[in-house]
Amino acid sequence: MTNKFRCFLLCCLAGLLVTPVGFVVAQTGVEKSGIDASDAEVSGLSAAELMEAMSLTSKAFRNAATRVAPSLVTIESYGGVSAVQGRIGGIRKQGEGNTTGIVISSDGFILTSTFNFIQRPPVISVILSSGERHFAKLVGRDDTRKICLLKIDGLTDLPIPEMVDESKIKVGQWAISLGVGYGDTSPAMSTGIISAKNRIGGRAIQTDANISPANYGGPLVDIEGRVLGICVPMNPQSQAVGAGVEWYDSGIGFAIPLANAAKLLDRLKAGEYIRPAFIGIQSGPNPLGDGILVNKVNPDSPASRVGLETGDILLSINDNPVNDMLRLKQLINRFEAGETIRMTVKRKSSGDDENLELPLDHPPMNSKEPLALPKIR
Amino acid sequence: MNNKFGWRLALLVGFVVLIGGNRIVSAQLKSQPSFIDQAIANSQPKMAKVFGASAGKVEGFATGIIVSKDGLILSSQGVFLDGRQVKVVLSDGAEYVATILKRDRETQLSLLKIQAETPDFFELSEKSVGQKGDWVIALSNAFKVADKDEPVSAMLGVISLRTTMEARLTKRDVAYRGELVLIDAITSNPGASGGAVVTPYGQLVGIVGKIINSSETNTRLNYAVPNSVLYEFVAGTASVTGETQPLTEKQDVDFGVVLFKLGGRNNPAYIDRVVRGSPAAKAKLKSDDMIVSIAGEKIGNLKDYAEALKSLRPEEEVLMIVKRGVEMVRVRITPRLKK
Repeated sequence: MTNKFRCFLLCCLAGLLVTPVGFVVAQTGVEKSGIDASDAEVSGLSAAELMEAMSLTSKAFRNAATRVAPSLVTIESYGGVSAVQGRIGGIRKQGEGNTTGIVISSDGFILTSTFNFIQRPPVISVILSSGERHFAKLVGRDDTRKICLLKIDGLTDLPIPEMVDESKIKVGQWAISLGVGYGDTSPAMSTGIISAKNRIGGRAIQTDANISPANYGGPLVDIEGRVLGICVPMNPQSQAVGAGVEWYDSGIGFAIPLANAAKLLDRLKAGEYIRPAFIGIQSGPNPLGDGILVNKVNPDSPASRVGLETGDILLSINDNPVNDMLRLKQLINRFEAGETIRMTVKRKSSGDDENLELPLDHPPMNSKEPLALPKIR
Repeated sequence: MNNKFGWRLALLVGFVVLIGGNRIVSAQLKSQPSFIDQAIANSQPKMAKVFGASAGKVEGFATGIIVSKDGLILSSQGVFLDGRQVKVVLSDGAEYVATILKRDRETQLSLLKIQAETPDFFELSEKSVGQKGDWVIALSNAFKVADKDEPVSAMLGVISLRTTMEARLTKRDVAYRGELVLIDAITSNPGASGGAVVTPYGQLVGIVGKIINSSETNTRLNYAVPNSVLYEFVAGTASVTGETQPLTEKQDVDFGVVLFKLGGRNNPAYIDRVVRGSPAAKAKLKSDDMIVSIAGEKIGNLKDYAEALKSLRPEEEVLMIVKRGVEMVRVRITPRLKK
């Protein structure tokens, strides 16, 4: 084999390894190359060579998992509310097993998914990769991203994983989801690609690797074991903490990228509770034209506080036209409680277009959703 | 390919090789130059579609694999076996009536026999095939999409984990406690059970298992019952699974606490009452303490508590952790012989 050809072969193998569309890269490479080799040699790698490429990808998957493993933790919950009847957090029944988290600071901050605490356990413990068990406290949570921050004390040298900046993530690159939810200390892996970016109000990336209660709170890593995001259940239509679990293992999965989320993490470390935005209107399509018709304004809601009234027509939010309910939901989902939006409204009373500054609040607590810790005796 | 790009890729491969350690060029790979398409093509003649009784919403069909040259077919357990006759359709469309040789409750496997010569079959072995991260191909007649001589459907995925876990379909089924090969191709669909999971070399990893829910995650599992379990089942060498008598008489222990039992066995282990003069009283445990750990074992609920007690011996001190208010309290406690 000539040196040049060997190099080419390596390149093709690298293509297969580095990207799942490597076949295509390798093929176009063939067309453009001026390599002087017979068609038979160039047109395809031999079956054995392709097999080798495949076993190399398998090996790379395993190495990626091994690389992030020291930062993976098993989370145990004790007690809490069980959904004997009805639903909690939008789901009927949660698994009984342990869940996954990932160390993000050497002094014991651990990130996981709020899904893992649907039952609001009064006690949470964490088993580090070393096998040590520590009791953890819940520090902060972000319900718009379904992530929360735990803290364990008395440690200084926990291994933290490398994170990939969201801007460097490419649609089509390998993605491997990892989680210990099936009960083994070794994480289960599922492989796929990054399907899309900028999902769920720009908060999530999407993957076709299996995402499920087995890995919610666990990392989605690249082929080199660097963290692309934290696996979470997501459904653009609903903010309930369990929403999205109905799509588990479906090829539609989400993860929250974190490499440039320092600001967000600081807020969580400070104990903040970030909640989804809510305006407090019931609305329907406007039969007379653009915008959506306000059918009812909830009392004591952000909408009622700025004087929105039944019969007003909502035309746009921050200059983005609103023509259907889904669009309204999507626009609102980009914000969080506490932020202020600018609404353009055609008032029923005057018939004029008016701009309103509306400070968003969080949705009123659902009385069905148990908030307090369960009372004993 | 221009040289610049080429070298960059060569560097990349160098990197991958660096993190990947040594390149693997197994002898097997050289001697068996097959690929996914060939693995599928080679496997198809070894596949069977199985039809039988249905019951309400429960499907009356499954997949099977041929495991001998004289018509032995391995499939899963299911309602389809309970009718008057079980029909097997081979890859060439030929139909046979099968007899049921045996079925096993624990592994949920069944062994069928047809009166036909079947030169193409999967070789069973005691060796486990495939490790985490390896590519696998799942072949099955999920949703009955393949008709007559149509080949069954193929899906690509990787092995997620080889593990043992407790999983069950319904309360009626015996929980399977053997090894499972979890895969990330979605096989938990009607009719897929009994399908083949093979490597890109065409080696059998296992057969697609029945649809079961993991109690850990409350999700459906995509998994294969491993080759070695199939081998034992067909060869009839499966170890007897039954309650073995303990060698010495079991000594029941307790701490002298009465737990709060309202709400069932999944409730956390809250102490309702501490018996005067008991080990618990000596360890200064209090009403409303929640027991979260005994001798390093997690106590998530009353079930865990009962399990943990079984492993303790009287007069042997252990560490217990309880939650009292917002504090975690560690106590040393010595269980006593239960009266």
